[in-house]
Amino acid sequence: MTGAPRLGVGIGWRPEIDLTVEALPGVDFVEVLAENIHAGPLPESLTVLRARGVPVVAHAVSLSLGGAEPVDAARVQHLAAVAAAVGAPLVSEHVAFTRAGGLDSGHLLPVPRTRDALNVLVDNVRRAQADLPVPLALENIAAVFDWPDNELTEGQFLAELVDRTGCLLLVDVANLYANAVNIGTAPAVFLDELPLERLAYVHVAGGVTHDGVYHDTHAHAVPSEVLAVLAELCARVDPPGVLLERDDDYPADADLAAELAAIRAVAVRGR
Amino acid sequence: MTARDVLAARQLALVRALLAGGPVPDGFDANRVGVEAAALRSKRRSIASHLRPDLADLLEDRFGPLFDTWARDHPKPVELSFRADLDRFETWLYDEGHLERPRRRWFRR
Repeated sequence: MTGAPRLGVGIGWRPEIDLTVEALPGVDFVEVLAENIHAGPLPESLTVLRARGVPVVAHAVSLSLGGAEPVDAARVQHLAAVAAAVGAPLVSEHVAFTRAGGLDSGHLLPVPRTRDALNVLVDNVRRAQADLPVPLALENIAAVFDWPDNELTEGQFLAELVDRTGCLLLVDVANLYANAVNIGTAPAVFLDELPLERLAYVHVAGGVTHDGVYHDTHAHAVPSEVLAVLAELCARVDPPGVLLERDDDYPADADLAAELAAIRAVAVRGR
Repeated sequence: MTARDVLAARQLALVRALLAGGPVPDGFDANRVGVEAAALRSKRRSIASHLRPDLADLLEDRFGPLFDTWARDHPKPVELSFRADLDRFETWLYDEGHLERPRRRWFRR
């Protein structure tokens, strides 16, 4: 146990699969994308899930906590409002930046793993935490390229971030697999360097390899290699939660159910 | 220059390379930055076709190449919503003569 609330196995709630998520067997919790939710009246499907006692985690993608620019207070306030509206036990964001100089990349970009960049990130995270009503978990991203002047490994960078901000960890094993393929991150070393007692939950997703680069698409089936990284994690810690992310090209309900069952099997085997 | 200023300059140079055809900053793998730039364009194009199926239908095969040409010169400003950003694309299509400006705009939206 890691001190974080017990969540179980879950799936990302999306409007396109709202009825599927309600009907799927073995959904212990869900996650909503904060940017896509109004903090006012919730979509009916989320109200139904909440009434069943299914925990809803609020996940953000646009805080740009790794960015050089000060944190946008309005975005943090929106995340806080969504967290309150869904009764989220915790919220999450990424160790990434999404914009610079007024330009929006529309994507999560890696930050340089230098002492200076870590100091900026720590400062941004603390400012965000001050305005959030529940604990914040921070997630490793998938990168296609790396900065040339890194001083720390990914694991060391995250470990120090946790140590200095008290944040929780959201480990995305698909992103970890992507970085193993794309930028040479060693998953076992990464997992060994992390304070896994601060783990809040885990993300699992599918992707595809093109010309030797793994793309974390959330639109393909979960490859066995990603489940193998999940197994490595579960050999070290019993994760409080494991969540499947699917964002496009939605498969048949039975396929999603099978992926959730496969995830549960790996998580249970590690226990 | 504070650490934030240095980081801001470096992040902006990278974002320009990824979104606006700027030079790849020293030390980066230019091939991989190109792969990421293509992925970001593809993601933005996909959102565009979802939000403006009318433009995608009118342009047919020309939608992708025209969108990519426009996107390279018009990275999305943070303060614009995706919809407002695509209104700029629509205006550009008319101004450049790629689409005929509809005479009766009042029936749209």
